[in-house]
Amino acid sequence: MHRDERRSARTVFVTTAKRAARGGVLWGVIFGALIASSATTYVSAFPDAASRAAVAATLEGNRGFEALFGIIRGVDTVAGYTAYKTLYSMIVLGAIWGLLTSTRLLRGEEDAGRWELYLAGRTTRGGAAGQAAAGLGVGVLLIWVLAGSIAAAAGADAKVGIGVSAAFYLAGAGAASAAMFVGIGLLVGQLAANRHTANVIGAAVIAGSYLVRMVADSAPEFGWLRWASPFGWIEELRPLTGSDPVAWIPIALFVVLCSSAAVMLAARRDLGAAAIGGRDAQPARTLLLGGEAGLTIRLTRPATIAWLGAMAVTGLVFGLVAEAAGSAMQATGGFEQAIQRLGGTAPAVVSYLGFVFVFAAGLVAIAVAGQIASARSEEAAGHLENLLVRPVARWRWLGFRLALGAAVVVVASALVGVMAWVGGAGSHTGVSFGQLLKAGLNVAPPAIFILGLGGLAFGLWPRGATGVVYGLVVWSFLVETLSAIFDSNHWLRDTSPVLHIAPVPAAAPNLTAAAWLLGLGLVAALGGIVAFGRRDLAGA
Amino acid sequence: MDQVTATPTDVAIRTEGLSKRFGTTDALIDLDLAVARGEVLGYLGPNGAGKTTTIRLLLGLIRATSGRAEVFGIDAQADPVEAHRHVAYVPGEANLWPSLTGEETLHLLGRVQGRADPDYRQVLIDRFQFDPSKKVRTYSKGNKQKLILIAGLMGRADLLILDEPTSGLDPLMERAFRDCIAEARERGQTVFLSSHIMSEVEALCDRVAILRAGRLVDIGRIADMRHLSALTVEVEFDGEAPDLAAVPGVSGVAVDGDRVTCQVDGSIDPLLAVLARSRVRHLTSREPSLEELFLAHYGSDVSETADAP
Repeated sequence: MHRDERRSARTVFVTTAKRAARGGVLWGVIFGALIASSATTYVSAFPDAASRAAVAATLEGNRGFEALFGIIRGVDTVAGYTAYKTLYSMIVLGAIWGLLTSTRLLRGEEDAGRWELYLAGRTTRGGAAGQAAAGLGVGVLLIWVLAGSIAAAAGADAKVGIGVSAAFYLAGAGAASAAMFVGIGLLVGQLAANRHTANVIGAAVIAGSYLVRMVADSAPEFGWLRWASPFGWIEELRPLTGSDPVAWIPIALFVVLCSSAAVMLAARRDLGAAAIGGRDAQPARTLLLGGEAGLTIRLTRPATIAWLGAMAVTGLVFGLVAEAAGSAMQATGGFEQAIQRLGGTAPAVVSYLGFVFVFAAGLVAIAVAGQIASARSEEAAGHLENLLVRPVARWRWLGFRLALGAAVVVVASALVGVMAWVGGAGSHTGVSFGQLLKAGLNVAPPAIFILGLGGLAFGLWPRGATGVVYGLVVWSFLVETLSAIFDSNHWLRDTSPVLHIAPVPAAAPNLTAAAWLLGLGLVAALGGIVAFGRRDLAGA
Repeated sequence: MDQVTATPTDVAIRTEGLSKRFGTTDALIDLDLAVARGEVLGYLGPNGAGKTTTIRLLLGLIRATSGRAEVFGIDAQADPVEAHRHVAYVPGEANLWPSLTGEETLHLLGRVQGRADPDYRQVLIDRFQFDPSKKVRTYSKGNKQKLILIAGLMGRADLLILDEPTSGLDPLMERAFRDCIAEARERGQTVFLSSHIMSEVEALCDRVAILRAGRLVDIGRIADMRHLSALTVEVEFDGEAPDLAAVPGVSGVAVDGDRVTCQVDGSIDPLLAVLARSRVRHLTSREPSLEELFLAHYGSDVSETADAP
């Protein structure tokens, strides 16, 4: 084979690798920075054995924290604390990156009609999918190498003292999550009818993995459940806390099986065909098709239901573990600092709930980002044009989308509170239904603020709107995680909308902050609607 | 240029100095155009000439850099919703919701438009031999185009704006489309048809407008354009062909053995005088086709492109 022919035969690999590498470099640097900053900040925040013993006493064995962040070990050392603080951020962010990138570069390319151009060249359906999988592997490899290198550089400081192999082992745990969900993205991309459906299924797998792992870490008798969750496998790797490489076996098998199955399915199915939601014909269901509002509800319904379900289960788990978490905190007595940093003072169970509800605010904000991404997708795909060439006002279309997003936020927030009450009802947490409903609704204002900013970005910079809103959510999540643990700079804390609310029920709702968030969100949304009415429609 | 001069209510489309600039590129420059109610106008131009930009400005999908666009006297940029009550648009590429069936799509678009005649919709479904029970994602390009055509035609809108509407249709369906447009004209609907298929435009349109690099370079009835354009003459000689290049009014002389083809602008008398002195075996003359008229406007572009490094 000539050189040009060889190059032509691996076009899909090269193209996919280049595109995956961009995200790989970005997230590799972010993961590396996260590890390095965690390690060095710990050294300065807890300089002596006494302070380190105190933090260990607060955190280790706290089932509430462990349900959120995984089993906590060795936090009286730099290595143990760094692993505790960074592992779940890397796991969740790595999984989201892996899923979205693989569905974008495989099923997304197929949806856009570009995949058939590749297949008209020197490759086959299975071969092209295999090349895409290998190209995505380059992105994962870059995450591992860059995060590991930065972590090793930070670990070389004598006060930090994390070795090169340990640094790369921790970075590998983060990259493993990305790799597994690249595999999931490849597989669901072959099963689903389009990229959107693939993302919804993949998001359900992420949520399921997290929830199974949460239950596993909420009580010792459920510990075996960790082996039933991809996130649990990564936790079982125990990076920097007595590494256990056995868990690499299911991780490697999972990646290989998902990727192989995806390649096999790609080789066997027709281009554009689907195993899930793949009925070619059906009787017309016109109930919601009387106008653009009903259409919006119909198109966003599957993702909204899935998200509300995930929030309900999250609330239920909060309620189930609240009593155990509160007891553990009462025993150690040091936890109040964390909740005080968020502005609350209350009995341990209530403090725990106040803390986790702030965490839930970040989760609700992800649903908001999905609403903005969905609106942008309608415009980019040219679907919106079918409405706007008819007597449909732009302000009405975007206004309804944003109002629907706000309604979903309110329902999801209330659902977390209601389900937390249901979960805690059997264990006598002593927190009333009203308190928990209020705690749930308290997380809505930051999400509505982010929704408004997303609407503004959509109106002003449509091609960047999805990136802006997801970036804001990820940033809020990172700042929230850091602030839960450290006395971080208040300027930094103020950049996260989530950290402006009070930790209800551990504190009274901060109505002033909530009103500001809602007001600014409304103003931003109105600005976005006006800007959308004045700009050109923008394709992909 | 031939322009409509009538009261606003008789004018379906009117643009005045309509311009659109994308970054540093002028996509449309000072377009002055009027289309009478009930008229079928062909809108021609090569790729990138500004046809789709004009249509998107008329629909209010993009904002004008300057100028004005009206649909039945309504400012299409300031009040697109009101203008759209009179308009149906058929794009050249159907981007529809893949999860809906054909029937669901027609139901939705009919309800959004605010007027759809179920009986006429069924007539169109039968005429285009379209199966509406399938999901959009399973349709071929041609079937998607049928769907968007039916959606556009079923409301019998006052103004049909069609942008390459037969893209992907087979010849039988293209004929069905022509029948629909002929019926629309009989009903008094106005049609603004952007197309690259010259035979389609020639068969359907009362007038044509030709766009070049964002500027309107010609507009008028095809017959008038023909009279104003060069005649094509083909002559076969018995023996050697005379040199016709120097004959007044003659251009584009092409010699192929004893056969000569040329164009004649203005009076044909000087040519006939030369031919009378030669032994002519066969002579034909014809008016230019729309395609030749169109190409005549772009002759310099073609040669510039050919000369480009």
